[in-house]
Amino acid sequence: MKIALFGNPNTGKSTVFNLLTGLRQKIGNFPGVTVEQKSGVLHIKDASHELIDVPGVYSIYPSNKEEKVVFDLLFNASESDKPQLGILVADASNLSRSLFFFSQLIDSGLPMVLVINMYDIAQKKGINIDVTALQSTFSQSPIVIMNARVGLGKERLMQAISEQLDALKVESTKVTNTLKKLSDLAGQEKEANARNTYLGTILNKVLQEKEVPVRTHPLDRWFTHPIAGYVIFASILFIIFQFVFSFAAFPMDAIELGFEWLTLWLRNILPDGPLSALICEGILPGISGVLVFIPQIGILFFFIALLEDSGYLARAVFLMDRLVRPFGLNGRSVVPLLSSMACAIPGVMATRGIPNYKERLITIFVAPLMSCSARIPVFTLLIGLVIPKMKLLGFIQLQGLVLLGLYLLGIVSALFIAWVMKLIINQEKRSYYLMEIPEFKRPLWRNIFLTVLEKIKVFTTEAGGIILAISIVLWALASYGPREQRREAMRALKTTDTYMHVSQEEQEGLKNAVLLENSYIGIVGKGIEPMIKPIGYDWKIGIALITSFAAREVFVGSLSTIYANGGSGNDLKLSSKLKQQKNPDGTLVFSLRSGISLMVFYVYAMQCLSTLAIVKRETKSWKWPLLQVLFFGLMAYAGAWICFNI
Amino acid sequence: MLLNELKVGEQANIRYISDDVFRTKLLEMGIMPGTLVTLHLKAPFKGPIAFSYQNTLLSIRNEDAQQISVDKLSLQA
Repeated sequence: MKIALFGNPNTGKSTVFNLLTGLRQKIGNFPGVTVEQKSGVLHIKDASHELIDVPGVYSIYPSNKEEKVVFDLLFNASESDKPQLGILVADASNLSRSLFFFSQLIDSGLPMVLVINMYDIAQKKGINIDVTALQSTFSQSPIVIMNARVGLGKERLMQAISEQLDALKVESTKVTNTLKKLSDLAGQEKEANARNTYLGTILNKVLQEKEVPVRTHPLDRWFTHPIAGYVIFASILFIIFQFVFSFAAFPMDAIELGFEWLTLWLRNILPDGPLSALICEGILPGISGVLVFIPQIGILFFFIALLEDSGYLARAVFLMDRLVRPFGLNGRSVVPLLSSMACAIPGVMATRGIPNYKERLITIFVAPLMSCSARIPVFTLLIGLVIPKMKLLGFIQLQGLVLLGLYLLGIVSALFIAWVMKLIINQEKRSYYLMEIPEFKRPLWRNIFLTVLEKIKVFTTEAGGIILAISIVLWALASYGPREQRREAMRALKTTDTYMHVSQEEQEGLKNAVLLENSYIGIVGKGIEPMIKPIGYDWKIGIALITSFAAREVFVGSLSTIYANGGSGNDLKLSSKLKQQKNPDGTLVFSLRSGISLMVFYVYAMQCLSTLAIVKRETKSWKWPLLQVLFFGLMAYAGAWICFNI
Repeated sequence: MLLNELKVGEQANIRYISDDVFRTKLLEMGIMPGTLVTLHLKAPFKGPIAFSYQNTLLSIRNEDAQQISVDKLSLQA
């Protein structure tokens, strides 16, 4: 049986969903559309049922894409997709608003169960609900009192669902649908007015409310204060970033080290040959490259879920909305964009909370411009190479200033492009920002844990495959090349003076450099030299640019190989080697101009396979990731050209 | 007067909502002419405002609040 879980936003619907399904959750799509559907398995007695988590709305009649899902599920879904039973989670403190949606659902002919959640909090506010009277009004739908956060009422709910399902089997007399499929606004308004009047008479009988004025929490004055509000928000973000950078590094290193051991071990037991190379150099590093993101995703979503579940996030959104609106962004874009400064992948995944599609799309599009942690090794190397170690005004480090400038360039460009997109993209309908500011709650660890788990699962299963496939292709292109050409180059190398007079270790380095130079990627890198000459790069940098399409930090490793530095790990040695490189005309390869040109290139260029895979996943189309590659590529080239030539 | 012109702490009854899409949306949430609202928070720089009705604290953007005309209650609750 299919059971749908409905509710207004902020009624504790997700908590009920997590309570009923626990770890038995999966992510899919609503039939025919790209709106994400979360569903879970619900075991009652011996039967298992599919519980569908429907987006939180106030009414059956949709005003945007997300909400249309609810309408379509009830009226336009195929028989197999249609739910046979509905559960509505109502917030006991806001019963009238929940009953509005509930009575619509009943009128649509769907058998229902009504959950009155958070009754304890409502009672503290002086609200009393005459459940018996309410039950006799809605005699067809069992009513269950719950306090889902502490797990109270779970058994009663299961019992009610089971009884309602049994009743379905016996009674073949289906309730008829009396709800009109209204699509015109005037009709909807009339219907809503009539419904409110009808519900008003019911509520008069069942609801006793003391006139207690709503009061905001004393903290709210500080959280939304023109100065303190921003200071608090910035401090919270700062703490999160500290955690991401300092704590994510340990598990990330552990994952990489673990894979290195595994590779070594397999290399020893597997016979030498193409299979061993494929596994040890292609597949394993590819898997490692996917898994290495998990710590960052996990830690970031732990904090985002914590902010969301406690209620703080709504305050931050309230505070930030005005500042980012001129750029076509939403208050909800702020946390995803700032998270992207650690890594764009969790940033893009965090845009799920942005209710407006256009604003969400803009946020996803510009997120990769926020300078992520993978750019740090590239920037550090290049700054060390071309920016002199000097102090301005006696105390400002010039190198640090340049790094700050690169970060700012990324942020300013992201805002600028967001602004341009705001002007270009058409809005289907006028959108409204209506956001409830929930009361502060003690975060529920189960909710947070399940969010973190869901995000990790989505990344590894849905983006992981693409990342693995493309990284294997890139590896193959970097390790294979035309056989004749490679043999020829190798022979040439062995007759050179330099080769004959260096140690064996250095000979290995030189060999690797020649092999990469004559691989398919190397050939492409050489081929694009005429294109990158105008922005100051030679073919060696070209090869490093192409290999770092997989991930930006690969740039450093590739340069190390191509300049025969004898593997990675010795950045100081690499740096001094790079400093001596000269162009055929005697100028430095890494001059101030070409260095800055490269840095600007890395600010813009969309060189991250994993981000592209996750953008594809979140927008459900290749259109947006491909546009990012193209558009940011052009910006990178243009920016680099300007820096090199002016 | 308009909803965004209320000061923090002031109460008012909703009189009229001009935009029909917005009006219907709010109606479905239980906000209609006659609903008692209290203004609680104003975000800096003419950002969103937050008002309470029934037992909910709801935030809307400043320009959307300008669509809502209200009758201010003279006595403070």
